[in-house]
Amino acid sequence: MKVTYNWLKEFVDFDLEPAALGDLLTMLGLEVEGVEQVGGGLDAVVVARVAAKAQHPNADKLSLCKVDNGSELLDIVCGAQNFKQGDTVALAQIGAVLPGDFKIKRSKIRGEESCGMLCSEKELGLADESAGIMVLPPELKLGTPLFEALGLKDTIFEIGLTPNRADCLSVIGIAREIAAKLGTSLKTPAVAVPEGTEPASKHVGVTVHDPAGCPRYAARYISGCSIAPSPAWLANRLQAVGVRSINNVVDITNLVMMELGHPLHAFDYRQVAGGQIVVRKAAEGERFTTLDGQERVLAVDDVVICDTERAVALAGIMGGLNSEIKDDTCTILLESAFFDPPTIRRTSKRLGLHTESSHRFERGADIGMVPLALDRAAGLMAELAGGTVAAGRVDCYPAPRQPVNICFRPQRCNEMIGIELSAERMAALFRNLAFTVAANADGSLQVGIPTWRVDIEREIDLIEEICRLHGFEHVPATMPRASVISDRPSRHQQLLRTVRNHLVNEGMSEIVTFSFIAPDVADKLALALDDQRRNGIRLCNPLAEEQSVMRTTLLPGLLETAAHNMSFRSLDLRLFEMRRIYMPQADEQMPCEPIWAAGLLSGSRNPEGWCQPQADSDFFDAKAILENLFDVLQLGNIRWSAENPEPYYHPGKACRILCGNQLIGTLGEIHPTVQARFELERPVYCFELDFEAVVRLAGKHQGIEPPTRYPDSVRDVALVAPLELPAEQLLACVQGLRLKELERVTIFDLYQGEKIPAGSKSIALRLRYRSSERTLTDDEVSALHQKVVATLVKKLGVALR
Amino acid sequence: MRGQLEQMRQQVVAAIAAATTEDALNEIRVRYLGRKGELTGLMKGLGALPPEERPKVGQLVNVVKEEMEGAIDAALTTAREAATAQRLATERIDVTLPGRRRRLGSKHPVTLVVEEVSEIFAGLGFSVAEGPEIEHDWYNFEALNFPPEHPARDMQDTFFVENELLLRTHTSPVQIRTMLKQKPPVRIIAPGTVYRCDSDATHSPMFHQIEGLMVDSKVSFADLKGILTIFTNQLFGQKTGVRLRPSFFPFTEPSAEVDIACVICGGSGCRVCKQTGWLEILGAGMVDPEVFRHVGYDPETISGFAFGMGIERIAMLKYGISDMRLLFENDVRFLTQF
Repeated sequence: MKVTYNWLKEFVDFDLEPAALGDLLTMLGLEVEGVEQVGGGLDAVVVARVAAKAQHPNADKLSLCKVDNGSELLDIVCGAQNFKQGDTVALAQIGAVLPGDFKIKRSKIRGEESCGMLCSEKELGLADESAGIMVLPPELKLGTPLFEALGLKDTIFEIGLTPNRADCLSVIGIAREIAAKLGTSLKTPAVAVPEGTEPASKHVGVTVHDPAGCPRYAARYISGCSIAPSPAWLANRLQAVGVRSINNVVDITNLVMMELGHPLHAFDYRQVAGGQIVVRKAAEGERFTTLDGQERVLAVDDVVICDTERAVALAGIMGGLNSEIKDDTCTILLESAFFDPPTIRRTSKRLGLHTESSHRFERGADIGMVPLALDRAAGLMAELAGGTVAAGRVDCYPAPRQPVNICFRPQRCNEMIGIELSAERMAALFRNLAFTVAANADGSLQVGIPTWRVDIEREIDLIEEICRLHGFEHVPATMPRASVISDRPSRHQQLLRTVRNHLVNEGMSEIVTFSFIAPDVADKLALALDDQRRNGIRLCNPLAEEQSVMRTTLLPGLLETAAHNMSFRSLDLRLFEMRRIYMPQADEQMPCEPIWAAGLLSGSRNPEGWCQPQADSDFFDAKAILENLFDVLQLGNIRWSAENPEPYYHPGKACRILCGNQLIGTLGEIHPTVQARFELERPVYCFELDFEAVVRLAGKHQGIEPPTRYPDSVRDVALVAPLELPAEQLLACVQGLRLKELERVTIFDLYQGEKIPAGSKSIALRLRYRSSERTLTDDEVSALHQKVVATLVKKLGVALR
Repeated sequence: MRGQLEQMRQQVVAAIAAATTEDALNEIRVRYLGRKGELTGLMKGLGALPPEERPKVGQLVNVVKEEMEGAIDAALTTAREAATAQRLATERIDVTLPGRRRRLGSKHPVTLVVEEVSEIFAGLGFSVAEGPEIEHDWYNFEALNFPPEHPARDMQDTFFVENELLLRTHTSPVQIRTMLKQKPPVRIIAPGTVYRCDSDATHSPMFHQIEGLMVDSKVSFADLKGILTIFTNQLFGQKTGVRLRPSFFPFTEPSAEVDIACVICGGSGCRVCKQTGWLEILGAGMVDPEVFRHVGYDPETISGFAFGMGIERIAMLKYGISDMRLLFENDVRFLTQF
């Protein structure tokens, strides 16, 4: 919503510079989002005097002038004839930018230098036509910017209105707010309509079949108008607030809308059959062409303005092409009506047709403004278009709006806001807003709300008005006297932080990707056709097809992020995302939104350096991150199962992660085909972990094992085993012996190659023996070790190397 | 025997003087003082002496033995010190070479801000609440006093899902879910992901908010101002100016936009604050009685305030991020700076 400083001044007196006025509006809740100066490029157009005027030596029609701008004499060549030496003129100096982006530069005209230009009103955008340059009153001070000298200087405020403040969609509305804040009164415009003798009702009839959709409809009849371009002041005023000038009649309706906030519509009376206005609901499927030339298909909810034969306007939104004002229109039927806000909103939304008029009606226009707006526009049509206004209004208002009265408790207001204002002060603030106030016997106030404040229906709305007018800046900042609440982060929240911190400690960077993904990623991941991750929830109105489905896995986001980074030559990646996925639930309206943690590793394991081995991360780097995590979470009984890996993993380098028999995640190298589909130039290793399962399964600390004081003995053994024998079985076999003196067993070497038979591998185990009761002798350790080795050989068929 | 002792003493003194290493000194100890050493051997000869001689010579042997041990120990100490000095004089590394580093991980700035804001409010007794992102229209709009067909719904461009579900446009529905679950007093914050179908340089279709809600027997608008002043001062610095100005949200009344003095220019006006000196960082207000009615609270006996802020906005201000899109591109050159 745009409004100008000077226009506001016509409605309310204030003694504030534009900047201070802007602050005042913002602190009233009318946020000033932009400020613009009228005639921004015209500061260099100044008042000047023609000190000397002579004939141009090389051109009959040009004169050569010395022009005094108050500080120096400038040479100016001028083609106009309508001035003489000593006249006060408008001088566009070098650097001025005239309307039409006309830049004034130093120039030579027929060999004579000209340091500027003497301007006409047309050139300055002050008139549509002008004969010769502008000759100004002689008393103006030389050197003053012209707009300032003529009082044309203005400031345009762009105000970001909240949807509740329909009353401020006008100059008068904003002026009311200023008056209320300053405690001054509003200057309501005096409207005088020179009426003819013939009554309007002789030419115009109004019948409302849908009083719910149209509670009030008023009209006037104006004959003998001449349609013409608007005078400059009107066109300029509309232009300043962002409305395009069309012709005098249409511009008048727009001017009144901007000024009083009430949308009007002017019909060409010739096109209103029988001069009869009928307001009714549209028929389902009724077709109607609005004045923008679009044919609209209407629904039974829509309200249309009709004559005796056909629709002539879409109520409150846009007029019809069939009855619009044309150049040869001379008789006008002028509409000022009030339409039901939800009805207008539904129609406007369904048709995608948003206009200045629908914007106001759907937020709630002022039903009390209907006659004043009608009269103001009719008066201007008489004045500017030469029309004759028939006597009286036709006003169909079967059920006049009952005034709204609200009981207001000053004490409650003080408690709610945390201030201490007297009831008298509050009553005064209400009166500043033109609300009526009466005292009730119990100390409360009965407050009457004017028709323009459609947003005020309850006591709390009045409390807000007091707070707003008193000033938010005058409310103290206090600390609440609150009840004690004992609470701490839930286990879910604590573990979320634990896992996230762990992954960060493992050198991974957290990413955040969009929750909606492209539908084709299920195919890119080669998911089976019956995989439930294909049933992602679709948005009805996605911004783009690539963002149309709620993700059922975090992998696509990771893979796309990796590809993005690789394209910028960031090849060493350790990324994770820990956020929700969205799974539809059978028999439930609401989907479930479990959190998953997914990670990706690619490229070098260590940062580049002089003393670090440069090797790429692989499966076991990813696995180690999870192994450490499971230790941190006290998550025991973990199995890494190579059976049935996911289709998007390399079939030989992937596994499922089970805790007991519960699947809690997967891990593997991304399948080369999937890797190619995501345009990943290097192999990547990923894991996915069901965080909700982790929360369910994570254990408590089991208590400690005190360290013993006796020395250990370490024995190594190298075994030759079949290639396919899982290392896990070797460890399980050793641990199955349950030797209490065996403190630890680790795999410290793995070899495949020429030195051992084909189809086999060598695995070296390191066993650490220790008793918690005494020092073990060499012989005792040897006996234990023999037992271990013999068991391995016997049970697993491995050989000593 | 005395002569032998004296001779041995002199040999040892000479040997010590000649020895330069710890090993050589240990050899001397073994040679003379070990179990099969020369002095030990000599002591075995004591038995052959006449009984009256034995104590005197024995005493002498002990004196010599102590002297030898003392001399060897002293020489050992000296040799060790010399060896250490020698080592220290020769061993040199280039301390300016970079260390053997591991990769450092990083949290996303959105997470960092959520954690910091949650911590500040935890200190004020607010705990963290959560709710679904795919939300029912009733929680997202109706219970928050956005009637159907109300223009206020235009303030939030909504992604719709079938069956009256939508992607929540704000974290405010968590207020409703929390109040339906528990009785007052309530003191929560609700960080979360929200969605609006809007995308350009300053809008992302997915972003994050933190909602706050306090309900108790006598909570006032002045208290809201107090809590938000503490919060902004903790987040942006003790002297950050705070300004509340009237605004409109359907679920609060009075409603306020909360501005802080521009953290870039300090309030004098710059590009970031559009020359106003103020930055809008959150919306707030007193919980509307209509909202209390929807959750079965009695607005005559309790009151409360709610506030909500955009996490990306705060992250951008805190870290000097000028383009919101950087937050979702996940370029590691960006991420590893946190």
